[in-house]
Amino acid sequence: MINLLSALALVVVCVTTMLIAFHGLRLSRTTSDFYVASRTVRPWWNASAIGGEYLSAASFLGVAGLIVLSGQSGLWFPIGYTAGYLMLLLFVAAPLRRSQAYTIPDFAQIRFEESKSLRKITTYLVVVICWLYIVPQMHGAALTLSIATGLPGWLGPVIVAAVVCITVVSGGMRSVTFVQAFQYWFKLAALVVPTIFLLFQVIPEQSSTARLDSIATQLESVAGLNLYETISIILALLFGTLGLPHVLVRFYTNPTGQAARSTTVIVLGLLSVFYLLPTTLGVLGLLYAPQLGGNAETDATVLLLPSAVLDGFLGDSLTAIVVGGAFAAFLSTTSGLVVSLAGALSQEFFAGTVRGFRISTVLATALPVFIAVVTSSLALAGAIGNVFAFTASTICPLLLLGIWWRSLTARGAIAGMLTGAAACGLALMISSLLPEVDTLWFHMLRQPAAWSVPLAFVVMIAVSRATARSVPANADRIMARLHVPDRDSAF
Amino acid sequence: MKRDSPEAPLPGRFAQQRPQRVRVQAPQNASLTVSAVKPEHTAQEFYVQQLIRSQLRLACAVAAGLLTMLVGISALLALWPTVYEFTLWHIPLPWWILGVGIYPLIIVAGMLFNGAAARNEKRYRSISRD
Repeated sequence: MINLLSALALVVVCVTTMLIAFHGLRLSRTTSDFYVASRTVRPWWNASAIGGEYLSAASFLGVAGLIVLSGQSGLWFPIGYTAGYLMLLLFVAAPLRRSQAYTIPDFAQIRFEESKSLRKITTYLVVVICWLYIVPQMHGAALTLSIATGLPGWLGPVIVAAVVCITVVSGGMRSVTFVQAFQYWFKLAALVVPTIFLLFQVIPEQSSTARLDSIATQLESVAGLNLYETISIILALLFGTLGLPHVLVRFYTNPTGQAARSTTVIVLGLLSVFYLLPTTLGVLGLLYAPQLGGNAETDATVLLLPSAVLDGFLGDSLTAIVVGGAFAAFLSTTSGLVVSLAGALSQEFFAGTVRGFRISTVLATALPVFIAVVTSSLALAGAIGNVFAFTASTICPLLLLGIWWRSLTARGAIAGMLTGAAACGLALMISSLLPEVDTLWFHMLRQPAAWSVPLAFVVMIAVSRATARSVPANADRIMARLHVPDRDSAF
Repeated sequence: MKRDSPEAPLPGRFAQQRPQRVRVQAPQNASLTVSAVKPEHTAQEFYVQQLIRSQLRLACAVAAGLLTMLVGISALLALWPTVYEFTLWHIPLPWWILGVGIYPLIIVAGMLFNGAAARNEKRYRSISRD
């Protein structure tokens, strides 16, 4: 029974996604449509799409899983994801929209026209970040499929990749905007309904005083992260969001810089509302399925909870709803990443044609599927946290200094990004090979953001100072273009 | 995707209205078309610098507030365990702060920044001749 309903939910989500994409296809006419929806998407529509794109496997499954795994420390992840958006609003949203670039490599080129190597390095970093980010989505798909339907896990990534390829190849960004806006509301509903049912079941059941008194002890029974790790994660999430390629490309679909800002504020609201749900489910999981913390399946908390608390048809249908929402999460985030990735690849290797974009799309999805199938899954939210740390140490300094500091030089940017990438990447790799020990240097290797982000900034600033003579001649004019309000944004 | 040949239009009354098929391609090199001449007034340059500076000051102030709040809360929870003794509906206070309480603050910070940034731009427009 559970297999049938969940499988049905999965099929419905995939087919609906594709139908909306084909509807968008009729509207896609120019390259601009393909890449950035011709920059005509309204703030509410765009905000829903950003929300839909941003709420990935890590948010939908990982947050609750992490709360079950590490208790109160898990609460920092959704805070960081949301506060990261605030940072995006503060420093990046409006100027980046006015830069008229399609992708982050385009921004690098606009800022430093002479430096071809900066553009290349930025492109490669974007490609690496996208792939690192897609793989956990695929792991989530494998986990969800095997737990909910009993089918072999590798089928999950293959389904996600196929649907994403079809939607992106057929319609590009325009249809992706429709798909993702729809998916935000779908994901929200897919968590709201089970949460309400679970709460109504649980609250009357738990009103005995003895049970209520034990709640606090049960919540605090799980060991969390220490202070250094917490702060490092906060920094990684806050500064990492700034540099996420699939999130940035969304800002180009706003008509003006001011619209980009309004959109971001709406996104903050949408994210805050959404994160209340996985948080509630995580707390319920900690109280009702604490045995999950003992094994590797904490990420499946949201999937397993409905049938653990409610039985019969109700439990099964709630599970099916969650499975559908989870697949919506994998599909929307992956398609957003694939659009950015394919955009970067096709600009770099196929001269930016629509045909090149389509070939790149297939390349962009095939490799992560392969990696996901041959590797095993980490804790989803933790794996995504590492990607944020990497982004914060590479793309974030380039964007922040590129937008706000006229004396940045191309060589400084390259040096800073490479230092950040090497420091953060090596630290994460070494810590994954070493046995776990409870010392400060191990924590510093496992959560490198607290030192690798400042390091990247310092190197970027120092090298720029040393090569101060090669500050581009048009730096002032570019800066003015980034910051002077758009003409058509009337008061 | 269907291929249209321009010589043989499709039958039906929509055939004439159909736009010509165009091969589309992204711009080969992304660059802004900034005017080659320098801005004629140095006053203009000064206003732009003032705008950038005031926007940066505003963003840094809000970001510093946010960082102080988050790091402060994490330090408070780690170093002052008494806070766990306060409970609301049997759930310890830190869970309420982290799970619910911070989000409204983030949204309010975003709205305040949005308004202030728009005011900076408005002031720039009113004094610049652009």
